[in-house]
Amino acid sequence: MTQSKLRFLSISLVALLVVTSAGLIFGAWYFKQLENTVTEKFEGRKWVFPSKIYSDSYLLYVGAPLRPETLIEKLRRLGYYATTGELRAKGEYRTVRSSGTIEVFLHDFAFPSEQFTGVPVRLSMQGNSLARIENLATGQEMFSLELEPELVTGLYERIWQERRLVKLADVPPLLVKAILAVEDERFYRHHGIDPVGILRAMWVNLRTLSYQQGGSTLTQQLVKNFFLSDERTMSRKIPEAMMALIAERKYSKDTILENYLNEIYLGQKGSQGIFGVWEAAQFYFGKPLSDLTTGESALLAGLIRAPNRLSPYRSYEAATRRRNVVLTKLLDDQIITRKEYDTALREKLPQRPLVKITNDAPFYVDYVRRELEENYSNAVLTKEGLKIFSSLDLQLQKIAERSLAEGLNKLEAAHPALRRKGEDSLEGAIVVLRPQTGEIKAMVGGRSYSKSQFNRVFQARRQPGSVFKPFVYLAALMYGGQSGIKYTPDTIINDSQFTWSYDGRDWQPSNYRNEYFGAVTFRRALESSLNSATSRVAQDVGIRRVRDVAHRLGIQSPLPAVPSLALGAAEVTPLEVAVAYSTLANGGVRPRPLAVRNVIDQNTKVLEKRDVRSEQVISPQLAFLMNDLLKGVLDRGTGAMARRWGFTRPAAGKTGTTNDYKDAWFVGYTPDLLAVVWVGFDGPSKLNLSGAEAALPIWTDFMKSATASMPVTDFVPPAPTPGSEEAPNSCEPGPEGTITPCPPVAVPARASSEPL
Amino acid sequence: MAGFDRRRCFFTLGIALLLTCAACEPPRPYRIPIPPPSNPVLRTPPPAPLPLPSPPSPPPAPVESPRKPLPQEPNIREQDLKDKPPAERGPGKETKESAALPNTGGIPPASETPLPLPDDSSLLAKITPGVTPQRAASLRLTEEGKKLLDSGDPAKALTRLERTIVIDSTNPYGYFYLAKAQYQLGRYRESLNFLNIAESRLASEPFWLAEVHALRGENYRALGQLQSAEASYQQAVRLNSGNRTATDGLLRLKTDNSFSGK
Repeated sequence: MTQSKLRFLSISLVALLVVTSAGLIFGAWYFKQLENTVTEKFEGRKWVFPSKIYSDSYLLYVGAPLRPETLIEKLRRLGYYATTGELRAKGEYRTVRSSGTIEVFLHDFAFPSEQFTGVPVRLSMQGNSLARIENLATGQEMFSLELEPELVTGLYERIWQERRLVKLADVPPLLVKAILAVEDERFYRHHGIDPVGILRAMWVNLRTLSYQQGGSTLTQQLVKNFFLSDERTMSRKIPEAMMALIAERKYSKDTILENYLNEIYLGQKGSQGIFGVWEAAQFYFGKPLSDLTTGESALLAGLIRAPNRLSPYRSYEAATRRRNVVLTKLLDDQIITRKEYDTALREKLPQRPLVKITNDAPFYVDYVRRELEENYSNAVLTKEGLKIFSSLDLQLQKIAERSLAEGLNKLEAAHPALRRKGEDSLEGAIVVLRPQTGEIKAMVGGRSYSKSQFNRVFQARRQPGSVFKPFVYLAALMYGGQSGIKYTPDTIINDSQFTWSYDGRDWQPSNYRNEYFGAVTFRRALESSLNSATSRVAQDVGIRRVRDVAHRLGIQSPLPAVPSLALGAAEVTPLEVAVAYSTLANGGVRPRPLAVRNVIDQNTKVLEKRDVRSEQVISPQLAFLMNDLLKGVLDRGTGAMARRWGFTRPAAGKTGTTNDYKDAWFVGYTPDLLAVVWVGFDGPSKLNLSGAEAALPIWTDFMKSATASMPVTDFVPPAPTPGSEEAPNSCEPGPEGTITPCPPVAVPARASSEPL
Repeated sequence: MAGFDRRRCFFTLGIALLLTCAACEPPRPYRIPIPPPSNPVLRTPPPAPLPLPSPPSPPPAPVESPRKPLPQEPNIREQDLKDKPPAERGPGKETKESAALPNTGGIPPASETPLPLPDDSSLLAKITPGVTPQRAASLRLTEEGKKLLDSGDPAKALTRLERTIVIDSTNPYGYFYLAKAQYQLGRYRESLNFLNIAESRLASEPFWLAEVHALRGENYRALGQLQSAEASYQQAVRLNSGNRTATDGLLRLKTDNSFSGK
């Protein structure tokens, strides 16, 4: 009996021992785990910085066409806010109607190649142009001024945390004291958790029967933000408390405080979360920390509890009340004097609505991301805070998006057969380039990004149809015919049915609506996009030469050297077409398309710079002649409707319709801006509309708005070259990239070549 | 007496004064003693259109004379480029003055040597009342870019210069300085591409055309294509015997040749 009792006792003891030691071991392991986590977070990379994509900057210069509304719209998008009095802080602007001036206190901005420090400037308008720029700080006249680029989007995972790190020493002591006073009075006296604080909070909450105070120390708040999700359960409280204790044991109070000041969430600006005191001071007051007033410091400290509910952007009154509560607390704790308190109470909080700007250009951003992904991993892009400067012009982007959406809607309204239910709806794409630099200024890859992210500008290979024809005519002007004909715009071509026999096969091109015009001029054949005449020219020149010319201009997709290539029976992307036509617009100089211009890291070190690259691939004389011919398309040919719709600037262009009526194109350009519009279905459905019917209206609508504030320019004839041998008719790239001259080309007088 | 003074200038002060001299009308300010031989090309007055480039090879002799006025023997290309444009010394006004002198470039080819052209390198001087705001702004930015190049910051200059062609795609000087920036960055092929564009737009400006050929020569030399370099330099000298980049370049080619010859 006693033995069995003993036995039971010893078993129990052993079991207890085992359980206890297991518990201890588990406890120690768990503790170690927590400790590791704390160390890792404090000492490893703690902060995640999203990369940001910016638009192109905006250059203002004396004499630039500029409407005041355009400038103000631009300023608003850049986050400038209107004020009525004198400009006091960076980010303010005011319009002085009486004198027709706009004054702007420019932001600081780190451009890729230099740091710009904001100054107040006065822009004087005269009619719709900028007459004078003056630096108000120095009184000096300026000739040009670069407005900072617009933020397009951040690249981040889950949430966009906007923050800039500060050192504790750089945070004004008053702000620190204010934060401690309202969030954790006994910070310097506890060891991570504060039983006194908890008891007091419980007492206050019980007494008022509401949640008034939390008992969490700064350390606990930091730990919570650092490591744990947002649920408020007891099971989370325990590891949180333990980690707070560990953090306090391992790190100094100052380290913890500094981390806290950088970590706290302080508001929301659209999709960006405002984190840390530096970013908050910028967001609410547009100031660096060192310039904060007593009242502003009190408000920032007060906002921590409920940044969005108490935000001055949301409620001026709630924010003022909260600030005053904090000020009273500071006075009670003798952190500020009565006089400071009184002054601070009289301060007015900024009273302005939060301008929410959605600068999104999702198709463009996707294209940029794709380019970036060649060199940067996703982790780098979402965490390392790179700044990516692009060529995007948000204004043109908005116009392009609107023109495409409205244009497609109108098409569906006018042609109900185009309306499809389900997946295969009518689609379109626009890409806009600056021919001189190759900068991609805007890109809309489809009708709705939310429905389909497929970017038709560079992912869809489509038949170019008649958009390809100019390459035939260019080849003809460049090389002449195998028959010995030297083509000029006045050369007579036979536009009648014929058969092109090749490789034992026959190919018979047919004209639009089977109409044939007999003897036509070269110019007329191109302007009216006559299939039969074009094919005859291509046959005479040789299809390989046509293909080579297309490649030289910038078409990169493989092109079959078959007769039907003359009418665009190949597959190319709208972006390639844009580059090839840019070469014509740019006087024979092929640009390389540029979306990403610069990438800089957080320390403004330039990681990558993509320069404008250009290559003279056909002679300026030839390019000028082609532009002249293609101007005829708009003035008299298949694109003439654009003129009737009110687009009157000097411009060249070409319609494109494929034989099977699946693709409709229009490519058109002024010397300074080029846009390619494609309309069609992703699937096999037929559009049954020509380029002039489906794409030209969209192009015209876009160009009319896009060029409204640009100076009118025309294609400049190349300077007469003394002795054609001297002209850089860089035709045939030879070995080592050396260049041999093209056969000389006669540029005939324009007047004699009016079409029939 | 005047002639004597000029001579002294010639030997002591180098290219800046050379230009001044050129501007002060002289019947024969200074001559590059190109051996008379049968090269009619060299007699063409500078602004006249360029004849064939092909049988260029005027014997290396011409390089001798420009050498004397040079204060130092430049070995470093960048350096060379930086202090090349003689205009740097003279403000725009001076340029205009010299340009105003009617017969500087137009003297009948009494001499066998082309005269140095009046300095036309000041971009700000090109901002005249009739110029469009786009061209004016573009020229000012080009000038800024040029200064940045001179101060040895081609990367920053490039950013400015790219703007110049955005504002005014017909500004040929923008393309020239883009080429220069690319050259300074060591991207010779790119530089040559921009020079082609600049050339096509500067065909009627012999001073600038000479600059284009000279810089092309520099690029070819950097690429090791010495024959092309020589031809380009010679073309530049034929257009403007005062183009120092070209004369220096020819000289250096010759020196290099004689070294390798040994």
